[in-house]
Amino acid sequence: MRWTGWALAALMVTGCRAPLRPAEPHPIPMTGTVQELAAAIDADAKRSDHEPDSKIRGELAAQASRDAAACLDRAPQSAACLYGRAIALGLEARAHPTRAGELLNTMLDSLGNAEAADPGYDEAGPARVRALVLIRAPGWPLGPGDTEAGLAAARRAATLRPQYPPNLLALAEALSKTGNSSGARENYERARALAQALPASEDRDGWIHEAGEALRRQ
Amino acid sequence: MSTLLLASVATLVFCAPGYPGGAGDAQPFVEQFASAAAANAGWPAGSLAAVYDPTEQGGLAKLAGSDAVLAFVPYAFFFQHAAELHLTPLAQADVVGIGTQERWTLVAKAGAVKGPASLTGYTLLSVAGYAPDFVRRAALDAWPLPRDVKIEPTGQLLSALRRIAAGEHSVALLDQTQAAALPTLPFAAQLEAVRQSPPLPVAIVAVIAARLPAARARALQSGLLKMGHAAGDADTLGQLHLKGFVLPQIPAHTSAP
Repeated sequence: MRWTGWALAALMVTGCRAPLRPAEPHPIPMTGTVQELAAAIDADAKRSDHEPDSKIRGELAAQASRDAAACLDRAPQSAACLYGRAIALGLEARAHPTRAGELLNTMLDSLGNAEAADPGYDEAGPARVRALVLIRAPGWPLGPGDTEAGLAAARRAATLRPQYPPNLLALAEALSKTGNSSGARENYERARALAQALPASEDRDGWIHEAGEALRRQ
Repeated sequence: MSTLLLASVATLVFCAPGYPGGAGDAQPFVEQFASAAAANAGWPAGSLAAVYDPTEQGGLAKLAGSDAVLAFVPYAFFFQHAAELHLTPLAQADVVGIGTQERWTLVAKAGAVKGPASLTGYTLLSVAGYAPDFVRRAALDAWPLPRDVKIEPTGQLLSALRRIAAGEHSVALLDQTQAAALPTLPFAAQLEAVRQSPPLPVAIVAVIAARLPAARARALQSGLLKMGHAAGDADTLGQLHLKGFVLPQIPAHTSAP
């Protein structure tokens, strides 16, 4: 009775990445720079978020993994490449649910390495994405989910980049999952207010929508 | 009534409270399972639909629908709701890594619990906490809990076990998979298993309130029992972590929950 669709939950993290460098058309050649390869992985993740066809999602995951490998070949200790590898592993887990447990554990390792290399990368992305995986993935013993560790990671991200709405959204979600509904509400409201003060963009609208929906559910 | 049902699509409701997986995630797998089960039973293609709900209340609402004729539920759910829903067991799941039966284990802080009376004022946490009758009368039938023990559902067992190890007045009732993983926890030495249940079914496929004509029910039962033996069904079953089905072996004390 361990339904295996759970892997999807851990992968709904890409909407909480920073809008990376100007969007690059894809495919990016694997001969690109670290920045180009990181942008290509981000583009794959964004496409995958909106792609209903599982076969295409699988192809996007494979492409992102190739780009991550090429990135790590160029700069093995770069936060951008370690973070990109983590995102690619998340896409692989979504594409291959039966291997999701193993892939998500490796994803968490990669996020830990990225955070050690540069905690501020992607607006504290390593800690933020780590938090979302830990609070959304199934918990012990079926998966790596651990709401308390997720809350600690979310607090790190929010402390490091408190003005970035997705960090507060992640913190609010972690507080909600650990039973602190007033703390969750406060951070959803802060996230919405911060997002509303930003220039118009698709990301901004998404953050406002996410905060609003969560506040309505509370 | 039977004629009406024969002419319509029957629905198999999957419900597994406390276990991971959203309705949308599991839906393709349960639909595939329903198609395979119907084919093995010799039912017309498309005559068995399936729907999944991860919550007890959502599952109960779906089971109350007039098109719901079958339930596929954990044994805890079956025990808790069999009487009110008039569930008649049809088959028992054979689950990958577990089998057809499992034992539940009550875990406490090491040295803190000498017997049931020690649990006065405690809270019992479990994925099966939504089914207090199952906890008291099936899993811990021979180990009567004090009446004031609060039984609560939780999907956050790791947090619960940490709190128990730290001395909180709680205990956890773990299923077989969880109990087997207990030694992997860094604080395992601070916990101890104080009681184990008898072997109990893991999951049951049941007919709801005799909504399925007997002949169709028998055909479906036969189809389910065949599923583990047909090579073509392995993937379908594997996606739900199933190996196949056996005839139901409901413990005697649960015959009239």
